Amino acid sequence: MNFNFTEEQTQFKDVIKSLLADECTPSSIRDGWSAKKSFNQSRWNKISELGVLSSNLSEEDGGLGMDQVALALMVEEMGYAGLPEPVAEQTFLVNDLMPLFPEGLKDEIKSIHESGNQYIALAHPLSPNPLFLSHAAALLLFDESTYQFILKDDLNFKPLASNDPSRELSAIDSIKKSISSSENFETLNSAVTARGSLMTAALLIGLAQKMLDLSSAYVLDRNQFGKPIGSFQAIKHMLADIAVEIEFAKPTVYRAAHSLLDKNPKSNLHCSHAKYMSARAAELACKNSIQAHGAMGYTWEMDLHIYMRKAWSLMACWGNEDKQQDIIYKTLTTSKDELGVLYTF
Amino acid sequence: MHLLKKEMQILKMKINFTKDQDIFRQEVRSWLADNVPKESLLSLDTKEGFEQHRQWEKTLNSGNWSMVTWPKEYGGRGLDLIQWLIFEEEYYRAEAPTRVNQNGVFLLGPTLMEFGTHEQKSKFLNAMATGDHIWSQGWSEPGAGSDMAAIRTTAVLEGDNYRINGQKTWSSRAAYADWTFGLFRTDLDSERHRGLSFILVPLDLPGVTVRPIPQLDGEPGFAEIYFDDVIVPVENLLGGDGEGWKIAMATAGFERGLMLRSPARFQQTAAKLLNLYIENEEHCSPMMQSKIVEAWAQSESYALSIYHTASKMLAGGSIGSESSLGKIFWSELDHMMHQTALKILGASAELSNSSEHDAAQWIKGFMFSYGGPIYAGTNEIQKNIIAERLLGLPK
Repeated sequence: MNFNFTEEQTQFKDVIKSLLADECTPSSIRDGWSAKKSFNQSRWNKISELGVLSSNLSEEDGGLGMDQVALALMVEEMGYAGLPEPVAEQTFLVNDLMPLFPEGLKDEIKSIHESGNQYIALAHPLSPNPLFLSHAAALLLFDESTYQFILKDDLNFKPLASNDPSRELSAIDSIKKSISSSENFETLNSAVTARGSLMTAALLIGLAQKMLDLSSAYVLDRNQFGKPIGSFQAIKHMLADIAVEIEFAKPTVYRAAHSLLDKNPKSNLHCSHAKYMSARAAELACKNSIQAHGAMGYTWEMDLHIYMRKAWSLMACWGNEDKQQDIIYKTLTTSKDELGVLYTF
Repeated sequence: MHLLKKEMQILKMKINFTKDQDIFRQEVRSWLADNVPKESLLSLDTKEGFEQHRQWEKTLNSGNWSMVTWPKEYGGRGLDLIQWLIFEEEYYRAEAPTRVNQNGVFLLGPTLMEFGTHEQKSKFLNAMATGDHIWSQGWSEPGAGSDMAAIRTTAVLEGDNYRINGQKTWSSRAAYADWTFGLFRTDLDSERHRGLSFILVPLDLPGVTVRPIPQLDGEPGFAEIYFDDVIVPVENLLGGDGEGWKIAMATAGFERGLMLRSPARFQQTAAKLLNLYIENEEHCSPMMQSKIVEAWAQSESYALSIYHTASKMLAGGSIGSESSLGKIFWSELDHMMHQTALKILGASAELSNSSEHDAAQWIKGFMFSYGGPIYAGTNEIQKNIIAERLLGLPK
């Protein structure tokens, strides 16, 4: 039993953190908004040059064989920076499913990867509007019983506006040609659902932490009644409440990631648990952060909403709190004897 | 190179129990199965029940289970925090009696380990392990509650002794305990947190008057202690004269942190709550589903967090103001779970005769759960600590 990170796992986190601190500033995100082009190719290329986009592919597929725990730690940083590009989606959803795809499909994906780390978008009933499809080489489309691989040129789609301008969504109009399969569907569908929950959970942890940091800085700076508003207990307690929620959501994300790595039979429950706790933490972070900012928090000018909008979107997709609660409830009532004090691990 | 690789292997994140840990768990389980009293003991806040619980402490000690993390020479087993968590899991699962000496073993014990002299450790830890010294806490005073630095009870050094005068209150277990530990003002000219010392005081000394205070459940779980020219030898000073505040903060950290409230306690409550819900499902609205999920999700998160913290501590880390996060989390969780139980019980949630109604245990726990956000530093004080020390906000 050692519920602690390895040096290697935290190393990746630190590398991506420092890159994003330089490359993914609030003003660069706003530039993307005004140009209506949130996918920043140069930032994507820099992330790609670091090897992040293929980091969790196996070594024979040209990756570093990074595990899901290290990946979750990196994704947390992508949330913290509010990264618009779908790096988390590419790694956590597409790459991590590679070993489960049938051979033919694997080859198609590989040939796209080999042509220079291009993006493959993914759509699923829990997150039906693919992200940045115009920048993708292909789309993986899950429905209720099959999945399809579609090259972008074989797709007709139109843009959908997201409440988070950093998320360019699309609706599929028609498909000209696709490779469709139902081979291994149950396993794949359950794997992608779990990964979607966990990926959004890790992003939400980062976003919640960012909102807390922005709020702590703001209440130190803003003076009323002759002193920083951060010296008033009403403000302190709102922010402390966020810190508590984040603290107890974090280990659920790391445990769920480890369960995927370990092929734990309860990994789906663990991923739902992670999303449930992280969504609640992020929800409180939004509510209390905007309140701590006062009217300024309600403006377009303040950076807070860059992160708040992303959090709202991520809370909603890949299974919101209500859906996760339902999954947990069903597991609790059907296998209660395998849960509880002796079954944490 | 080989060595390096081996070391890397050991340090790898691995959140499964090792074979040795499983064997240890079995050992704990089978000892508890043989020794936990079949009939539940009387309340530890009654005179007779207190002595029954003292007897249980002695039984635990006969199996060397008083405090598994202490070194063998002080009555422990020299085990690590993960093994302690395993012990606790089995302890709660076996529904073993409440530790009447928790002020001693979980709070004063670790404090002695860090700040005590060898003589103090061997005298007090061993007597604690055997249940011969049951401890109470002596922090609060009528004018010093949340504002603990306002302590006015004095301990004046006279030769080799301290002369103590003043009053402590809300002293948990003091009604029947043998000793108390707490902060006393040893420098009469000092103010606030300076000039305080951490002193251990026997409660049977001349000049000590204990006045029990009945709690919500009608039993005296805490008491006032009056000191009227009480003479205590200087050997009972823990750490240096005037260093009391620093030591008390460490003790408070143990209390809020992982020691006093191990996660097994809350996981066990969550499991019982789930069973209660399943038995009464047909009387419940779907609203209860979300509470059941919340109970499991939060108690599980608390456990994960404590294992995460314990792993970091084993790797040489320490726990500081972070313990305030946990104190808020478990105390609110405990209250929410008991509140939910009473809702599930419907109209029977007022039937308090424990020999006839299962509701009685939930009612008792429900009332006790109101204490969680108050004792060990109110949750409002914890939030101030979090804001000031972890978030960097001004005082």
